[in-house]
Amino acid sequence: MIITRGIAVRLGLVVIGCVLLQVSFFSYLSLFGTTPDIVPLVVISLGLFGGAVVGAVIGFATGLLLDSVLLQTLGVSSLVLLSVGYLAGRYREGTEISNSLVPLLLIGALTTAAAAGFAAIQITLGVDAPVSLLVLREIFVQGLLAVLLAIPLYPLIRRILRPALVDSATVGRGRSPIRAGTTRPRRVRGRRIRRAAGVS
Amino acid sequence: MYRKQVRRRRAVLVLLVVVALVLLSTQFSESQGGPLHSMQRAVASVFGPLEEGASRALKPGRDLVNWVDETFSARGQNGDLKSEVQDLRNQLAKSQSAEGENEQLRKLVGLDRGGTLAGYKPVTARVIGRSPTVWYSTVTVDKGSSSDVKLNDPVVDGDGLVGRVSDVTHGTAEVTLITDNRSAVSARVLPNGPEGVAEPEVGNPDALLLDFIDRNQAIHQGQLVVSAGWSNGSISSAFPPGVPIGKVSDATVGEQETYQRVHVTPFADMRNLDFVQVATGGPKRPGVAQ
Repeated sequence: MIITRGIAVRLGLVVIGCVLLQVSFFSYLSLFGTTPDIVPLVVISLGLFGGAVVGAVIGFATGLLLDSVLLQTLGVSSLVLLSVGYLAGRYREGTEISNSLVPLLLIGALTTAAAAGFAAIQITLGVDAPVSLLVLREIFVQGLLAVLLAIPLYPLIRRILRPALVDSATVGRGRSPIRAGTTRPRRVRGRRIRRAAGVS
Repeated sequence: MYRKQVRRRRAVLVLLVVVALVLLSTQFSESQGGPLHSMQRAVASVFGPLEEGASRALKPGRDLVNWVDETFSARGQNGDLKSEVQDLRNQLAKSQSAEGENEQLRKLVGLDRGGTLAGYKPVTARVIGRSPTVWYSTVTVDKGSSSDVKLNDPVVDGDGLVGRVSDVTHGTAEVTLITDNRSAVSARVLPNGPEGVAEPEVGNPDALLLDFIDRNQAIHQGQLVVSAGWSNGSISSAFPPGVPIGKVSDATVGEQETYQRVHVTPFADMRNLDFVQVATGGPKRPGVAQ
């Protein structure tokens, strides 16, 4: 991802919008007995688009903002989100994503890991909670919901960040989630060449 | 070049992890008026109006999604509620006659309390944000210190006890719900039941556990649980006595345990709070910070 000033603004707006949407909308919903959490989903998506450093920095900043807005213990969400953002980015840097299902499954797995990490930190901090089936169900369902929510949200984030995404030449013409959508300008250029050559 | 990139990436990761850990440990050891808490309140104050706007704008969408979810669960609850209404009608008839007697007796002993929140000034507040996890059950309301809301003020809704104010900014306040893992409410089982401590059942935001109830005490399903308003002169509960909390859904006793585990279903629907009342300006409660 190429970070320009405009893209940095877009990233900031995505983070703020995501936190506002979470605390004002998704936190009120009850789906399959649990509350959907889009914050890890957005951080993982940005890690997948931007790489490890972008994922970690965005994760840290998003966690800090979330903890500040909700007046929670600072650092807890940051620690969890920067970890999943970094891991998503490392996956993106080390592996070619050629199947559009891979990001969705990765988002599900890393959201489950984030929920488990959050639970582990809370228990370490002294929350007297038995590792009950309820907690395990909550963690599992969070991952499942993240996969479902990623279906519309992941392409939306890609669309927002499209100008910053570098089209990978190795991806070819397949429908890859990391494509930057640069096929249209090529066609325009071809038309111009044809016009210049006098071919109608 | 590649090695440089790897070094940079690792350095960023380590730096961020260290900063997060420093923030975490510093905030734990810091007082409420410390710099990190102040910074947090400043951010919350800035985001307060944004949250309020987003909350209002997104309410129809929330209601629609919850309506679908509730329609499925309401089918199962219908039969149970019909029989409960019958029981409650019988109880109402009994309690109305008891209320008349109670009023006369109160006048006799010189007490004149209008209700459980008598002596408080209720401030109605809109819920504008809430925490997404089961580990923190908190909501943000749109009234703060500018409306006389203070730390540890009790918060109720039309159904019962909701929680207490755990942080205040100028225009907003954070309410820690009774289902939060940091919450513990001294509670009493009605009519003549014992007192215990109502704590959250972690992982289940719709349930409370009433602890420290002797195993030999007879507790039945459907009994009401209210706040005990416990005080020993130097320390006391943050909640006034008699505020409805919930009803007993189940009571179990382990073979080796001294106390029984009483499961309580809260009256207030913690997932669908829109408006709450913050009971401000109440009597001083010893040991409760304000």
